[in-house]
Amino acid sequence: MEILSNLALGFGVALSPFNLLMCLVGVLLGTLIGVLPGVGPVATIAMLLPITFNLNPIAALIMLAGIYYGAQYGGSTTAILVNLPGESSSVVTCLDGYQMARQGRAGPALATAALGSFFAGCVATLIVAMFAPPLAEVALKFGPSEYFSLMVLGLVAAVVLAHGSLIKAIAMVILGLMLGLVGTDVNSGVLRFAFGIAELADGIGFVTVAMGMFGLAEIIANLEHKGTREVFTSKVKHLWPTKEDFKRIWAPVLRGTFLGSALGILPGGGALLASFGAYTLEKKVSKNSAEFGKGAIEGVAAPESANNAGAQTSFIPLLTLGIPSNAVMALMIGAMMIQGIAPGPQVMTERPQLFWGMIASMWLGNLMLVVLNLPLIGLWIKLLTVPYRILYPSILVFMCIGVFSLSNNPFDCVLMAAFGLLGYICVKLECEPAPLILGFILGPLMEENLRRAMLLSRGDPLVFFQKPISATFLVVSIILLVIIALPNIRKKREEVFVEET
Amino acid sequence: MRGLRIGQRLAAAALLALATLPAHGQAWPAKPVRVVVPYPPGGPVDISARLLAPKLQEALGQPFVVENKPGAGGNIGADFVAKSAPDGYTIGMGAIATHAINPALMANVPYDPIKDFRHLALVVQVPNVLIVNTELPVKSVPELIAYAKARPGRLDFASGSTGSTGHLAGELFKQMTGTFMVHIPYKGAPAAVADLLAGRVHLMFDNLSSALPNVKSGHVRALAVTTLKRSASLPDLPTLDESGLKGFDMTTWWGLMGPAGMSPDVVQRLSAAILNGMDAPDVKERLRAMGMEGSAVRTPEQFTAFVDAERRLYAKLVKQSGAKPD
Repeated sequence: MEILSNLALGFGVALSPFNLLMCLVGVLLGTLIGVLPGVGPVATIAMLLPITFNLNPIAALIMLAGIYYGAQYGGSTTAILVNLPGESSSVVTCLDGYQMARQGRAGPALATAALGSFFAGCVATLIVAMFAPPLAEVALKFGPSEYFSLMVLGLVAAVVLAHGSLIKAIAMVILGLMLGLVGTDVNSGVLRFAFGIAELADGIGFVTVAMGMFGLAEIIANLEHKGTREVFTSKVKHLWPTKEDFKRIWAPVLRGTFLGSALGILPGGGALLASFGAYTLEKKVSKNSAEFGKGAIEGVAAPESANNAGAQTSFIPLLTLGIPSNAVMALMIGAMMIQGIAPGPQVMTERPQLFWGMIASMWLGNLMLVVLNLPLIGLWIKLLTVPYRILYPSILVFMCIGVFSLSNNPFDCVLMAAFGLLGYICVKLECEPAPLILGFILGPLMEENLRRAMLLSRGDPLVFFQKPISATFLVVSIILLVIIALPNIRKKREEVFVEET
Repeated sequence: MRGLRIGQRLAAAALLALATLPAHGQAWPAKPVRVVVPYPPGGPVDISARLLAPKLQEALGQPFVVENKPGAGGNIGADFVAKSAPDGYTIGMGAIATHAINPALMANVPYDPIKDFRHLALVVQVPNVLIVNTELPVKSVPELIAYAKARPGRLDFASGSTGSTGHLAGELFKQMTGTFMVHIPYKGAPAAVADLLAGRVHLMFDNLSSALPNVKSGHVRALAVTTLKRSASLPDLPTLDESGLKGFDMTTWWGLMGPAGMSPDVVQRLSAAILNGMDAPDVKERLRAMGMEGSAVRTPEQFTAFVDAERRLYAKLVKQSGAKPD
């Protein structure tokens, strides 16, 4: 079989001692920066770019890719331990992961995240190896109208994310949408809600909002429990998931992997939806949906698998079309161009060693990460026994460094502080920040794609129903809306809420 | 300092000069130099800065640290350089957007692209290239014009953003050919290229660096470059000027600049080091692989004149194109 000989070639390249070392360096660095809140892979890879000039292209790309998925692993660690999402994909992990940590179950949560990610990484790597070219064709089928309808579906599903009142969830989504409006209008170039502040011209940064609303707000809220607890939690029951846990996570991991792999292929923000989508899906289908938001292990397993699968499959549009699906991928293109490699479909045929070597290294990198991270869990847990008076100031310092490094501008730190206050107000009002974040991410994407689709159709709204993919999403959204709106079902829903609160 | 007498002014100036001088009276550079890139990491401007930095360090003996300060179309980074102390320890990349287009396009650009800067050396010039989807039945510029004229308002041209060179090149093309096509702006050129590959938009004027891979692999068809001279990367590709659009000349460019008021000695040394770095064979080779070319503009004075000419050109173009929002 051709695929086997290709993979053999790939592993031959990736297993050479030097490339193996580069892969290890990459995942180590990635884990490290993932654990430091806010210091993201973008800044790190940018700083390392000049070093890669003198490496051979394969080693350079293997290392950079290692940083990328290493950061995905590390990012969930802070999300679970201290409620700090470093990137969009770990926002969802905060919801249940942090609750688990508070109940002294940080160990199982971290292990679930690592194992789920590893499984997802293996499957997604296989998908990239076997189906990259045909899947790239699928990615090209997604135009503005398809993206818009996908976002509508995501937003409708977002209401399910909330576990408080429906009204509050909708209010938070709308607040998120409005915050997403800040910045330069794509079509006309007009500045909206920037109030003459140049830093707002490109909109509000996602990391700034997420770190403020989740991490900072949590710290402020915890200060209220004066003197009750010196340390985060002293009752750490066990490090490893129980048999019961394993029984509960295998199905969510499978579903998360599948959904994440599918959404990761879409270059226009599909991967953003992966973890949100997987969480929503789990909450709908799980027997334990009442536990979601209060430390359900499924709520960690599904989004973590989805986000890692998405991270791997997002290499498909990069390697086959030369289209980056996020800022890290854009940097990878830069790194390839510096090496004189034109990213695109010819990479696979002209440089099979590079293509297959990278794919093989992805799997090896995932293996290294899981081997690296499982023993580290004990260490991370110890971190929770650090007294608040030391832990919190250190977290704040790292958050500020991380947010500052986004664009080397102190303004972002001030903005994060403002969102911390807003987050605290939301905690007091018992409004969930997750729907706000989703609205904030989806709003601008939706608007952009809606207006582009309308421009392309010369103002004909029927275009959303004429394209089959787009029409399917819209029909599913309508069905979901009807389900939410139907009185008897809503009643049942409210009963569920009563149980939850 | 309007109220001070000459003597006091001189004293103040001397004090200021002393304060900016490094300890032990060492000559510049006595500490690392910051190179501000007003865009996010990974883009062509950032890459060229990072390619150049080690060469400058080699020549001048201090580290040159690249620092990205993105935002507001590059204005935040450019403004940071303009407002920095002119001591030679902060320089930055200025580009066609920050120094020619934005001042014409945006309402309140907080700096003057000529007066607030000391232009050091033009680093890179990249042609834009007119590319079309391969399904579009046109093989040359005249064929495209005829095709577009037969279908007024039916063709779409994409660009990375409103007011980008890609957008303005499209508007200039429409004016010069009397065609009517619809502008579809995107958030960044890669998203636009994705839709061009899929055939949802028909053509775009893309930066040669980013278009090169897809042109070479045959996934898009290149019709012409937007410069007066053909590109060394695609020598068989005609220019728009050759194809009947006389005088069509647009280049994307960027170069290093410092704040106004830098000492002539520092300017001279920086400028020489930059040009030497650009001429180094390994830098040249890597830039060429990305479709970037060095420039005939070789002195700081020529560079200032070049920026001024570009600024005037785009002030006119932006006005004619109606790209300005307010």
